[in-house]
Amino acid sequence: MKKVKLTINGRAQQFIVDPKRVLLDLLREDLKLTGAKQSCDRKGQCGVCTVIVNGKATRSCLAKVTDLDGAEVITVEGLGTPQNPHLIQEAFVLSGAIQCGFCTPGMIMAAKALLDENPNPSIEEIKAALRRILCRCTGYKKIIEAVQLAGRFLRREIAPDQVRPDPNGPKIGVNHPRPSAMVKACGVAEFSADIKVEGAAELAVVHSPHAHARIKAIHTAAAEKMPGVIGIMTAKDIKGTNRLKFVVADRPILCDTTVRYIGDPVAAVLAETREQAVAAAQAVEVAYEILPAIKSPAEGMAKDALQLHSEWPNLCHSQPQIRGDAEAALAQSAFVVETDFSTQMNHQAPLEPEACVAYLEEGDEGEEPILVVIGRSINIHYHLGMLQGALGYENMRYEEAYSGGQFGIKIDITSEGLAGAAALHFKRPVRFIPSLTESMYLSPKRHPFEMKMRLGADRQGKLTGLTMDYIVDNGAYLSAGRAMVFRALYMLSGSYYIPAVKALGKLVYTNNPWGSAARGAGPPQANFALESAMDMLAEKIGMDPLQFRLINSLKPGQPKSTDRVVDQWPFPELVEAIRSHYNRAKKEAEDFNRKGGPVRCGVGLGTGAFGISMSGDSANVAVELDPDGGLSVFAAAADPGEGNDSMFIQIAAHLMDLPMSKIRLVTRNTERTTATGPAAGSRMTYMVGGAMVDAIQKLKAAMAEARATAYDQLKAAGKPTRYMGTKKNQDAAAKIDPVTGLGSSFESQVHAIQMAEVEVNTKTGDVKVVKMTTAVDAGTVINPQNLEGQLEGGVDQGMGFALREEYVAGQTKDWITFRFPTITTACEMEHIIRETPRNTGTLGATGVGEMTMVPTAPAITNAIFNACKARVRHLPATPDKVLAALGKA
Amino acid sequence: MDQPAEASRPAGPEALQVQVRSFAGREIVFDSEGFLSDFRQWTEEVAQTLAQESGLEALTDTHWQVIRFLREYYLQNGRAPLHRELKKGTGMSLLEIESLFPGGIKQGARRLAGLPNPKTCGQS
Repeated sequence: MKKVKLTINGRAQQFIVDPKRVLLDLLREDLKLTGAKQSCDRKGQCGVCTVIVNGKATRSCLAKVTDLDGAEVITVEGLGTPQNPHLIQEAFVLSGAIQCGFCTPGMIMAAKALLDENPNPSIEEIKAALRRILCRCTGYKKIIEAVQLAGRFLRREIAPDQVRPDPNGPKIGVNHPRPSAMVKACGVAEFSADIKVEGAAELAVVHSPHAHARIKAIHTAAAEKMPGVIGIMTAKDIKGTNRLKFVVADRPILCDTTVRYIGDPVAAVLAETREQAVAAAQAVEVAYEILPAIKSPAEGMAKDALQLHSEWPNLCHSQPQIRGDAEAALAQSAFVVETDFSTQMNHQAPLEPEACVAYLEEGDEGEEPILVVIGRSINIHYHLGMLQGALGYENMRYEEAYSGGQFGIKIDITSEGLAGAAALHFKRPVRFIPSLTESMYLSPKRHPFEMKMRLGADRQGKLTGLTMDYIVDNGAYLSAGRAMVFRALYMLSGSYYIPAVKALGKLVYTNNPWGSAARGAGPPQANFALESAMDMLAEKIGMDPLQFRLINSLKPGQPKSTDRVVDQWPFPELVEAIRSHYNRAKKEAEDFNRKGGPVRCGVGLGTGAFGISMSGDSANVAVELDPDGGLSVFAAAADPGEGNDSMFIQIAAHLMDLPMSKIRLVTRNTERTTATGPAAGSRMTYMVGGAMVDAIQKLKAAMAEARATAYDQLKAAGKPTRYMGTKKNQDAAAKIDPVTGLGSSFESQVHAIQMAEVEVNTKTGDVKVVKMTTAVDAGTVINPQNLEGQLEGGVDQGMGFALREEYVAGQTKDWITFRFPTITTACEMEHIIRETPRNTGTLGATGVGEMTMVPTAPAITNAIFNACKARVRHLPATPDKVLAALGKA
Repeated sequence: MDQPAEASRPAGPEALQVQVRSFAGREIVFDSEGFLSDFRQWTEEVAQTLAQESGLEALTDTHWQVIRFLREYYLQNGRAPLHRELKKGTGMSLLEIESLFPGGIKQGARRLAGLPNPKTCGQS
């Protein structure tokens, strides 16, 4: 041990610490300064723990406390509070640079260290200063803009009030700061790992190192005797079904007889400290009988393949789509492209670990205690039901903490089952803060797709037919796997009218990590094939790719490939809107390439028509007029960073003609909210926002009928103050013909066309994305900054999907091996935003959150081809694949 | 009792099929577990039919007391009541309610009252 003196946020303190103790743990655990976050297992890979030490931005997870004697430390809490924020915190809020907020404290501290030394930094200087900090939601554009704005504030060129929209002015179409942004900027928003739980014990899990094995025995005796160990839990200790039934009950909380992928949880250790729990987990010995592992869908569908789940065949879902005679259409087509494509397994990569807290709360007299689970669910009522069944315990409550990123990964639950089971079994409050590697093991992945496609056109360049056979690697458990198949089908024809289609999607269990929702969930994979084939066909015809896309646009009155006829399709207008940018980019690329050299410039396009609200979708929202004239909104509408809080508050304030401060959201607790479905599928504005509009209209109708303008008058008239609103999809259920697969599909569409400008080094295969331009029409825009933030963060993710990222089971264990995109790989972005009010939209709005993942990857690979004639058909387009496509491998 | 009018789903595990059934000429959608998809489609006739299918000869006043509480609670709160709220609201013990409905509270009472299951994606 060693004594160290530190001044932290102006307060001099002394600490007697172990030489191994790092500053991050001292701040978070001893001082409860939880603004600095932990994501990368203290490897210095993510920078979200950045604080200022002696004036320098420092990753506190790498700084040994004993090396800091006499140092002055400033954390985000030392900068400002929500009531009295620092100008840099104001700048981040006003720039829309905060989505989930998990990286924000680190970004802000790095920005402060930079601006203290250089109050007017260039973009390159900002990138250099922030290069060690990762962001997954916002992308890096608005963060750079926030640092620039902070510089202007600090230089007294402008004041926050000159930037802040008038809170009493118009509510719709205005960049009102996100209600949750300031607490995130000040580091006081509590994520799951930040919640203080008195007497909590810590959990660690034993994961399977094998992809497929039978559990012969679990030897716990040695581990049980280790220091601090409270106990070890195995499947037999779970009283319910021990199956987390998302759609089918195939996924155990703890494996009982069989492990089915590398990472499957086998046992859990509860100890007084996380370190003790991890040590004991390593001492648990599991005897396995190794079984043959099914490594691919082809192996899973082989005649002699082992069946992974006795109740369901390996080929667990297949679905056709047959419209017209695609074979005949292609046979008669003047031009046909026939090829195959594939996309990789990927991790959605929220920065926050799969953290969870669970404890027993005293119930009413004579009642069993309430099991409270606090986690990161985006569908708390649904997940509560899953947990009740799996744990065999009814009296439960789920609370959503602040969540550090989502991107579909939280459509299903992971650590909640383990923490909840441990809290029940050991009757102790439990914290389960898994490592990054464990979080990757526990959580679902983006499904890999293998696709075979034929696309035809006539002599005039009009599309004639499409065939598409695709196989989806489901991994070990179903989760939302079926949705990947049908979502890909229901958006198969993308932006276009394709008269004849023949497609078949198959979903196959394997011993790979299980897949589930991932931003876009199916269409980003299938659309990569379609948009690549569109460019290949345009090349074959000899037609400009932009013009080819324009002449094949679907038109109102025509059907999508699902046979559903559309009444709005504002895509051609986007093509025209991007045309001048496209012409500029092509000319610049031609000028550049004329100079010669190994680096070639290219321009590529991708489009997307992303469907929102599937048949049978419905949402409920309750509103209540408060005694002070304010309005409370009750709905389990998760906001893991997208800005749903802005959407609700701006719409409600607009409709009620109230200040935004008088709109109160109650969204995070199963006991107080309506069950309104998942914050997924880009459905929140369209569906849940729409249900809130309905509820407010009912309240206003009641007030008008009672001639009431205030709460007391409404009460005096004997009218209720609480109203339930609903929004339902026009189709009460999916009506799909079992033979043709035609019928229902998504009710609303968000449209986009995206242009990538790239530089390809033909010697190394390296691809640099120089600029991404997106033309988008999502209907009425409620908050432009939030919409742009979705586009920018999505483009950064799309670039990672296109060029870098891949999850390889057993090999991808942290942010370096994942190849997380950084601020140095970020590119210039420009947006063209059109607002065609949607007939069925919420004040004319539809959604936007996932669309941006749909066109990005093909836009980039099309740009690579345009640059150097290298067609990459298998993502990610890493340098080796680019070189192979150039014939240089 | 009307038979399912349509099994409107593509090929897939049988257990995941939603059902569209006809009641008095109206199409009513049930999820794969036999719960109404839309609580507003519920009628007393639907409850009586589901009760008969589950083995109850008739719904008594006590049954209706539970069913009405469940519906009123759902209409007000947009979710099913917790067990402790159900006890308080009906003045009955959980054991009494469980024994009233074949399938118990969730599969019995809630289903007959037309309360939908919470929804997620991957079900349609």
